[in-house]
Amino acid sequence: MSIAPTEQETVSPDEVTEADTPWITLVWNDPVNLMSYVTFVFQSYFGYPKSKAEKLMMDVHVKGRAVVSNGSREQMETDTEALQGYGLWATFQKDD
Amino acid sequence: MARGFKRRDGRYAAKLDAVERGLVVGLMEQVLELVAPETLSASVAEGGDEFDRIVAGLGGIGQGVSLSADDQVPDLSGDVPAPRDPALDRLLPTANRQDEQMAAEFRRLTEDGLRSRKAANLSTAIAALSAPAGGKDDKVSLDQEQALAVLISLTDVRLVLGERLGLKHDDDVELLEEQASSLPDDDPAVYALAVYDFLTWLQETLAHALRP
Repeated sequence: MSIAPTEQETVSPDEVTEADTPWITLVWNDPVNLMSYVTFVFQSYFGYPKSKAEKLMMDVHVKGRAVVSNGSREQMETDTEALQGYGLWATFQKDD
Repeated sequence: MARGFKRRDGRYAAKLDAVERGLVVGLMEQVLELVAPETLSASVAEGGDEFDRIVAGLGGIGQGVSLSADDQVPDLSGDVPAPRDPALDRLLPTANRQDEQMAAEFRRLTEDGLRSRKAANLSTAIAALSAPAGGKDDKVSLDQEQALAVLISLTDVRLVLGERLGLKHDDDVELLEEQASSLPDDDPAVYALAVYDFLTWLQETLAHALRP
């Protein structure tokens, strides 16, 4: 992810709920997308609160990828398509 | 001197002069040609060649920043089928890394729709940023829908430009900038990097202005 200046805030521990559904959507780090933009997309597409959107964005940036949603295969394909529409490097797969 | 986007009375205002607008719009037109679904792409491409010739002849706006795949790789003679443009793979990446068949099925079902959506965003952004004929006004004022289209289109343009610049890792831009500092100012690589940095800055201001 591009390291354009962005506000850093301390965020609470990951609040992603444990998945009991077997499919996930992943977003992978890339050198072009801006941290501010990725956070914006997580907030506007998923409706995640700012703290969760920023935590996921930092996971993508630091760890190279993050699980951004989970659910049925159909829903994960919908999320992947939407995120690719925003230009994020999104994939879906079975959670294993 | 350009001024980045700010939110004002529910609109998104910036200052871009004719050269800056022409640069951004020209690059968006090139990406539109790249992503437009095949049928649309054929008609866009006809005009596109003429557009490219005109821009090349001007030697000013857009000089040295061609996003066309033809300008990126040496022309291969012979009957080798043209490989898929790597920039397209970045805009429409393989959606499943574990299962090729699933990835192919996803592509078959979503590619046309994604291309159409990206093309529609780019068209909206191009119309919103195109300077009024003969106008000297540098002010850009976008409504919410236009601002979102410009934001997403700037992403697609930067993704294509980033691919052409060979950006693979987070620190590649800095490395390129170091290398570019020892090149003459009129080197195409120096110009392309300056354009990339300008687009990054512009998008950053718009992303901040659009924050919920």
